[in-house]
Amino acid sequence: MDEVRPEPIEQIRRRHEGEWLLIKVTSHDENGLPKEGILLFHSPDREAVYEAVDAAFKRGENELLTCFAGPLVPEGWEVVLSVLDEV
Amino acid sequence: MFWTRFDPTRPDVRFWARLLSPRGIVWCEMVLDTGSSRTVLDERLLARAGYDLIATPKVTVTTASGRVEAKVVTVRQISALGISADNFPVLAMPLSQPLGVDGLLGLDFLRRRNLLCNFDKGILLTLPFSRNFLHRLALSAQIFSAL
Repeated sequence: MDEVRPEPIEQIRRRHEGEWLLIKVTSHDENGLPKEGILLFHSPDREAVYEAVDAAFKRGENELLTCFAGPLVPEGWEVVLSVLDEV
Repeated sequence: MFWTRFDPTRPDVRFWARLLSPRGIVWCEMVLDTGSSRTVLDERLLARAGYDLIATPKVTVTTASGRVEAKVVTVRQISALGISADNFPVLAMPLSQPLGVDGLLGLDFLRRRNLLCNFDKGILLTLPFSRNFLHRLALSAQIFSAL
């Protein structure tokens, strides 16, 4: 079986647009942010990726990254955030 | 000083956050939300990362769409934008899938440093609070060079 080589995080994101990703982080940039990694799992379903986080930790992985590979908001949607403590 | 770039054409400002959990390190994407008084992480991610969501206190919070109940989880460490906080309480809530992020970084985290956002160029800076005139001068020089 071919050895899976780390690749830039942004390259993985471009390849899997519209999906949630689980990546094993293999290197960091000068700011300590994730730079390269190995794609472990991808799915349009966020919950499935979170389940894969569980499985990856069970396998002994210790530095993982989850993200959504855009687009951020589907066409026709807008986002309104904010969470406030009740007084 | 910490600085990072974001895409100024996007409708939000999102960046990496590093979460130290009982099971290891999880990098996740969070959105800058200065309208939130509290930092929020998706409860499903926290649970998979090994945090106990059953024996945690609950609070009622107001969101843009109404009142909801949230769990308060103290994370071992959360780091983002050059800021790091140990034993930091976050709200654990389910976040909508179309939002496309794992959490919201709120004012409780952001107020630990000065925050400067250049929406034209897509540059976000965080700087320590100035201690005196000379320190303020040094910070100003750093801001100038970064922008």
